[in-house]
Amino acid sequence: MNAAVLQPTEQVLVQKIQVKNLNFYYGGFHALKDINLEIPERKVTAFIGPSGCGKSTLLRTFNRMYALYPKQEARGEIFIDGEDILSPRQDLNTLRAKVGMVFQKPTPFPMSIYDNIAFGVRLYESLSTREMDERVEWALRKAALWEEVKDKLKQNGTSLSGGQQQRLCIARGIAVKPDVLLLDEPASALDPISTGRIEELVHELKNDYTIVIVTHNMQQAARVSDYTAYMYLGEMVEFGVTDEVFIKPKKKETEDYITGRFG
Amino acid sequence: MNLYTRRLLINRFNLAVSLLTMLFGLFWLGWILFTLFKAGFGGLSARLFLEMTPPPGSDGGLLNAIAGSLLMGAAGTILGTPIGILAGIYLAEFGNRGWLAPVTLFINDILLSAPSIVIGLFIYAVYVITVGHFSAWAGTMALALIVIPVVIRTTENMLRLVPDSLREAAAALGAPQWKVITFVTVRAAKAGIITGILLAVARISGETAPLLFTALNNQFWTPNMNSPMANLPVVIFQFAMSPYEDWHKLAWAGALLITLCVLALNILARVFFQNRTATY
Amino acid sequence: MGSEHLSKQYDTDLETLRSGVLQMGGLVESQIRGAIDAFAHGNQDLIDQVIANEVRVNEYEVRIDDDCSHIIVKRQPAASDLRLIMAISKTVTDLERIGDEAEKIARMSRQIHERGHADLHRFATVRHAADIALSMLRQALDAFARLDAADAASIIRQDVAIDTEFRSILRQLITFMMEDPRTISTALEIVWIAKAIERIGDHAKNIAEDVIYIVKGTDVRHTAVEVVEREALS
Repeated sequence: MNAAVLQPTEQVLVQKIQVKNLNFYYGGFHALKDINLEIPERKVTAFIGPSGCGKSTLLRTFNRMYALYPKQEARGEIFIDGEDILSPRQDLNTLRAKVGMVFQKPTPFPMSIYDNIAFGVRLYESLSTREMDERVEWALRKAALWEEVKDKLKQNGTSLSGGQQQRLCIARGIAVKPDVLLLDEPASALDPISTGRIEELVHELKNDYTIVIVTHNMQQAARVSDYTAYMYLGEMVEFGVTDEVFIKPKKKETEDYITGRFG
Repeated sequence: MNLYTRRLLINRFNLAVSLLTMLFGLFWLGWILFTLFKAGFGGLSARLFLEMTPPPGSDGGLLNAIAGSLLMGAAGTILGTPIGILAGIYLAEFGNRGWLAPVTLFINDILLSAPSIVIGLFIYAVYVITVGHFSAWAGTMALALIVIPVVIRTTENMLRLVPDSLREAAAALGAPQWKVITFVTVRAAKAGIITGILLAVARISGETAPLLFTALNNQFWTPNMNSPMANLPVVIFQFAMSPYEDWHKLAWAGALLITLCVLALNILARVFFQNRTATY
Repeated sequence: MGSEHLSKQYDTDLETLRSGVLQMGGLVESQIRGAIDAFAHGNQDLIDQVIANEVRVNEYEVRIDDDCSHIIVKRQPAASDLRLIMAISKTVTDLERIGDEAEKIARMSRQIHERGHADLHRFATVRHAADIALSMLRQALDAFARLDAADAASIIRQDVAIDTEFRSILRQLITFMMEDPRTISTALEIVWIAKAIERIGDHAKNIAEDVIYIVKGTDVRHTAVEVVEREALS
């Protein structure tokens, strides 16, 4: 509640990601228009907005996932820890080791559960077997999956249920100890209980990681995030503390979207 | 009559026609297999696998032909498969930029349906004439040229079936593209790719025309790849065309043998594929 | 509050809720008027009517709160809708309390008139305070209907006037009691009535604060009048 007398506690916020004048094109289509944004460190920031507003597009610029496809292009600057990741000198693979991503559809690799998690770690670190075992266990514990799979680490990753597969993907993402975790609608393919578990997980993870989550479920954004950005048709309409955005939004467009007025 | 009855009758009529046409096709297939079994079964014996092809009038087996087919088939597969898989990987994973890939794919499809005799003649003109003699190497090359388009096609198809989300997930961990391909994409398509190889092998087991102009045939057995080598299809051709009765019997036995092999390979491919396909 | 929701049913539900609040407000207003008239003239029928209507006021409160719960569970309201629902729930509580005060005034008026010897024309100030409270309530309900924050802010100033009136009534009554000790019982009852009127003013002020919360999103409870006016007019 924004009381006239009570002030919110002052916190020193470090900005992990700074987006400056970002424009994005799918071929000729101007998908992101002049985005300026700062994502605070070790907090959860949610992107909300109707379909096609560009929230996933914006998310995918943070790890330059669009570089896999020829007709997609980003112009502008995105600074992570002070370095512009859009510069041609930026090595994509080291960027992606630092900025992890979990997708909407669970995508376990066609290998054992153990190897799924070890795959990412092996890319950049050489660990002894014992160290790797520990890392795998740590990641699975963090993802709240260890108890369920500890006796079947050699089984194929695809043998798990949907919710378990998604937690496996999250474990896989955090095993490499990235700084930033990007979650692209991580729970939208899951049932309410699995969704609840994932939201709990996000809550715990934010102590160690900067998290950006895209969701089309507004209540989830309200529950899970500290900051919320509302986007519409490729533009950043409003960005603020989640409680304020959902109780007292500054812009009428934000208010209309949040209250379900699409007139 | 009302709508329901009319539809019922049309349905029954169409089902009957489908059934009849299927039986028609099956009938010929059945007859072929039956003839093959009847004529060839008697020739199946241990001797078939232990003795060389005999001159007319004496007893013998098909050992050198079988060995030759196995050898050239294996060699042709070993030669053609890596090329086919690597090309298939290139076309599927790197082929979305530029014009080279679609053109290559198109030419590949033409090669795929090219008559195998053309391939045999090609090797004959380019290699056999140059070195001056028939050889198993020539035969191997011809078979490889048949294996390659099949493997390219199936590899490319199977890789394309792997969803992009899997590639993205691997790339998102910071894996360089070659690792994404080898450890994730190809592994995901493994079952399909292996099935493709098995089908290619099944295809070349029965090819006669390419071997006719390249490996020719050999009465005897020699492991020397640089000389003509006996092989089942050409032996069957030669023996069947001859006027000798015992050669006919061996030809039938050989034909049955090839058919059973192809059957086994197809079943194996089918079973393997069904067991190992992951669902996404 | 702006354009319509995607769900027409939601709009209808909110409209029903708001008109419910206004109806309850109208009933409560007439309760106050009836109670004050009863105080001035002692009309027994009027007193009975006020006491009987109190049940209806309570029913309104229960029903409207129930409707609020339904909307919360069904729609998960956010932003202005959320503030509206929260404020309505509080406003309805204040209205119910006002209804209680009106009933108290009616009961005490009955006792005064049964005892007799009430020289009540000397207490025009009580009447005057009641008029202020009633106008505050009407203005607050009006501000609620039109969602006018500026209007709501001006009500809060008037609460000060009622407090002043109350203190002057108190002084008057003390003088009265000292003049003639036989009038102490009646005088005390008049004190309770004046207190009830003062409380009605407070509740009307609460409702005005709720309106500002709905419109501006700022919680102006327990803040100085100047701050409230600044927030309301911003």
